[in-house]
Amino acid sequence: MKAIMIIYNQAHSSNVLDALDKCSIRGFTKWEDVQGRGSSKGEPHYSSHAWPSKNMVTMAVVEPEVLPALLAELRKHNEEAEKQGLRAFVWEADSVI
Amino acid sequence: MKLYESAVKKPVTTALIFIAIVVLGLFSYTKLSVDLYPEIELNMATVMTTYSGASAADIELNLTKRLETSLSTVSDLKKISSNSKDNVSIITIEFEYGTNMDEAVNDIRSVLDFQKNYLPDGAESPVVFKYSTEMMPIMFISARTSQNAQGLYKILEEKVANPLNRIDGVASTSISGAPQREIQILTDPQKMQAYNMADEQIASLVAAGNSNIPAGSIDVGSDTYSVRVNGELKESDQINDIILGSYQGRNIFIKDVAVVKDTLKERATQVVTNGVTGAMIVVQKQSGANVVDIADKINKALPDIKASLPPDVKLEVILDSSEFIKDSISSLTETVVLAGILVMLVVLLFLGRWRATFIIILTIPVSLIAAFIYLMVTGNTLNIISLSSLSIAIGMVVDDAIVVLENITTHIERGSKPKDAAIYATNEVAVAIIASTLTIIAVFFPLTMVTGLAGIMFKQLGWIVTIVISVSAIVALSLTPMLASKLLTKDPKRSKLFNLLYGPIERTLDSLDRGYAYLLTWALRNRALVIISAAMLFIGSLFLLARVGTDFFPASDNAQIGLTIELPVGTRVEHTRKLNTYLYNLWKDKYPEIEIYQSSLGQSDGSNIFMAMRSSGTYLITYTARLTKASKRERDIFEISDEMRKDLAAIPEIYRFEVTPGGSNMGFGSGGTSLEMDVLGYNMKDADTVANQVANIMRKTEGLRDIKLSRENYTPQLQIEFDREKLAMNGLTMTGAATVVRNRINGLITSRFREDGEEYDIVVKNELKYRTEIEDIKNIVIYNSRGKGVRLSEVGDVIEGFAPPSIDHQDRERVIKVTGFVYKRALGDIAADVQKEVDKLSLPPLMDVEVSGSVQEQQESFSDMLTLLLLVVMLVYIVMAAQFESFRDPFIIMFSLPFAFTGVFLALWLTGTSLSLIALIGAVMLVGIVVKNGIVLIDYINLNKERGATVRKSVIKGGKSRLRPVLMTTLTTILGMIPMAMGIGEGSEIWQPMGISIIGGLSISTILTLIVIPTIYTSFHVGDIKRKRRAHAKKHA
Repeated sequence: MKAIMIIYNQAHSSNVLDALDKCSIRGFTKWEDVQGRGSSKGEPHYSSHAWPSKNMVTMAVVEPEVLPALLAELRKHNEEAEKQGLRAFVWEADSVI
Repeated sequence: MKLYESAVKKPVTTALIFIAIVVLGLFSYTKLSVDLYPEIELNMATVMTTYSGASAADIELNLTKRLETSLSTVSDLKKISSNSKDNVSIITIEFEYGTNMDEAVNDIRSVLDFQKNYLPDGAESPVVFKYSTEMMPIMFISARTSQNAQGLYKILEEKVANPLNRIDGVASTSISGAPQREIQILTDPQKMQAYNMADEQIASLVAAGNSNIPAGSIDVGSDTYSVRVNGELKESDQINDIILGSYQGRNIFIKDVAVVKDTLKERATQVVTNGVTGAMIVVQKQSGANVVDIADKINKALPDIKASLPPDVKLEVILDSSEFIKDSISSLTETVVLAGILVMLVVLLFLGRWRATFIIILTIPVSLIAAFIYLMVTGNTLNIISLSSLSIAIGMVVDDAIVVLENITTHIERGSKPKDAAIYATNEVAVAIIASTLTIIAVFFPLTMVTGLAGIMFKQLGWIVTIVISVSAIVALSLTPMLASKLLTKDPKRSKLFNLLYGPIERTLDSLDRGYAYLLTWALRNRALVIISAAMLFIGSLFLLARVGTDFFPASDNAQIGLTIELPVGTRVEHTRKLNTYLYNLWKDKYPEIEIYQSSLGQSDGSNIFMAMRSSGTYLITYTARLTKASKRERDIFEISDEMRKDLAAIPEIYRFEVTPGGSNMGFGSGGTSLEMDVLGYNMKDADTVANQVANIMRKTEGLRDIKLSRENYTPQLQIEFDREKLAMNGLTMTGAATVVRNRINGLITSRFREDGEEYDIVVKNELKYRTEIEDIKNIVIYNSRGKGVRLSEVGDVIEGFAPPSIDHQDRERVIKVTGFVYKRALGDIAADVQKEVDKLSLPPLMDVEVSGSVQEQQESFSDMLTLLLLVVMLVYIVMAAQFESFRDPFIIMFSLPFAFTGVFLALWLTGTSLSLIALIGAVMLVGIVVKNGIVLIDYINLNKERGATVRKSVIKGGKSRLRPVLMTTLTTILGMIPMAMGIGEGSEIWQPMGISIIGGLSISTILTLIVIPTIYTSFHVGDIKRKRRAHAKKHA
């Protein structure tokens, strides 16, 4: 099993949900109202006066087979609107209850 | 869930809620009645007390003074003035505006009840009248006839007045100028004396011979019959045959000593309409009834009424006060629509997209219609104030929607889905929108708390704008994002035609952005120069203020002129009539603008209060001239009035005259203003001298016309002085003798002649030829109780003399009011000139001259406005400081205010408008409107700075990106005001100064704000980074 953490501008909220649905991924956890900024050129998302945008995080633990399709879907959305910001990180989920 | 989030997620609910508001608003609109102004309860009450036989001085001492002293304890009293003349004392009590008049009148009544016991015995109980606009007549109808002059009164009463009276809301209709039927028994004093008889005997015999007497009842078999003597006269001719008594065995009939005439009353008002004598029907409305509704009903009933009249009786509506109201309201409605179209064009021009324009424009009807709900709920009417308020608000309601839509568009362009963009973009600007809405409310809400005359006008304005702007903010936060999420697309396709049309506009806007960035860069480099020259400009504009005159209310043309012409007192009515005809023929050709001339002259028969309150006499002519609509003529009422004054001045026999542009119609600004100077002091002679000096000064002052003194000239009078001893010797009493004199000259009503259910007076008096000379009075025979006749000359004398003038009081002090009409000059300037000259006079001791009337009200309301301005500035500062969480930034934004005033002065000066109350209120509104630009600009500059840019870069980048929204919201507000500033249409002229001052102030301040505010901001913030570094260094040192 792989854990995937998708961190994205809240404007992508429905896109991410669509992508999970498309890849038939049922389980996920979502945090609203998170802050952060990109490592290289990404804008800060602080929900402050200067940087009003907000981020959201969706985490899902998935079978490795569906991962490429999901990543491709997410990449597609990110490329459509690069300025909004969408990142996904994948790591091993060792034990699952 | 936040408002905008729910709105976007529940589009059906949102849409339906707003549809419900619109439907409710439209429903309210149909229920609203139309009126000229919000309901104004006039703040005056009058106490009238009669004391027959007392002279002006007696009345002053015994009645007026006593009542004034006790009435001045009534609460909320503003001013108390009085007029004491022969037989009557009239005290006028003015209250603060907004006082509950019912309570005030009750207070007055209780004071009067208390004082009743202390009044002289002969005085009648004081009567209280409540003045209000309600009492003003709403319609004048003239009636002319060629055949039916004798029966005109009856025809009019039955066929016109009675049907009109039945109309809902009509309080009374009265007929004047049609003399009423009267049966006169005109006695010959010589014959009467020969038979040793007095008029009073005839009177009692006629009365006795003209009555039905019930004579009880008798039982005949099983029935009871009542018996009745029908002694009433069946025809007026029967009076001739009434037996007076017998003399040397022969019966004497009335026809032997008198002539019986079935005729018309001798003295009556004569009404001449367009040269033809006729009658006038005055219609008054019930209080609380709506003028337009009643007038509509009357106009609907008139064709039927006309058809029922004999063919030669012509009815014509001379004055229909609803017409002016309707014209004003419809022209204002046009103004609102025109403003809406202009605003729409600006939005389309800047956005270049149909759908976005549609979404923004939708805010206008939704928020304006909400105002109708308010009007209906509070029982208000659709009037000049409420409609003008809509016209003021129309340019501002789109501002919030523009800001929201612009941000949503940016988000969509950056890749968000419309639905997400709508929620998150609205979220970003929600706080700014609420803050800028609050600044507008901070300006308009205090208006609802203004007191005084201005309060009545601006209360509704304050409420409507506050409500409309609040609704527009709610719309911008709910309906706008909802519609944006449904209608906006990521990449709107543009047709070729569109590109062809819009391309140049877009390029112009782009180059405008670039040009502004260059200019700003230059200004930031030359900060000192920019700030100093801006300061110089402001200081320079203050000098303009001295050149702009001040006025209370701008005058407006309501197509009416009122005139009063006074011939020397005692002029016979025939002579007056001749002059009237002459004037009509003269003016008919000279002023083709005048549609209807109506004059009334002669003694008033005062059957209604309105007529009775106007002074009347054989030497007086009052004119009402109705002109064509203001838009259809070149000369306004003020010019024509001035020409008329010249015409009248050229006629030597006229003692004095008064031309009142606007007529006697009540209302703000309709017609002209006048300057009033009060000469206060007890000594009559000194006061007369000073008043004449003041009058002379005023005559010499430019811009004043028709100077008039309130103390009337001494009137000639025949006084009969009885010798009490001689009266006593002859067994006569003073009252008895006086009554006889009155009966011979004025006549004595004995009883009433009844015919067809109508009653007519039967009057006994001396025949006209026996009452034309002083000798005739001296020859009057008075009979004592023993039946012995004594000539008046034996017990008294007739002296020609002058009656003392009436005595006026102002706040319990004797006063002479010197008034003059203002013509084509600012009231404030005239007052200052007159005051300067008056100060040079050396006044006798205990004399004082004060400015009063409009000037005083102007000063009061101007100082009210200044207080309001300070309050508004403070509130706006608080709102801004809360938004920026800073003391410094709102202070910087406040720098746009001086330039707003520069713009106001400049615009007023250029258009030659004077600074009136209306212009001032415009200036107060500007405080809220101009800081909005500053907020938008500084907010974005701050944002750039927080994102880490340098001050200079933040300013230039922020300025460039905010240029379009600033220009757009400013242009919508300015264009929304343009129809108002041009004063299109009747009745809306009074708002012209407001439009002019807002346009002037907003344009100048916007242009300067765009340059000066960023410059000042830079100067204030340039040290920020250095300061931070220093603090940092200190910490780590």
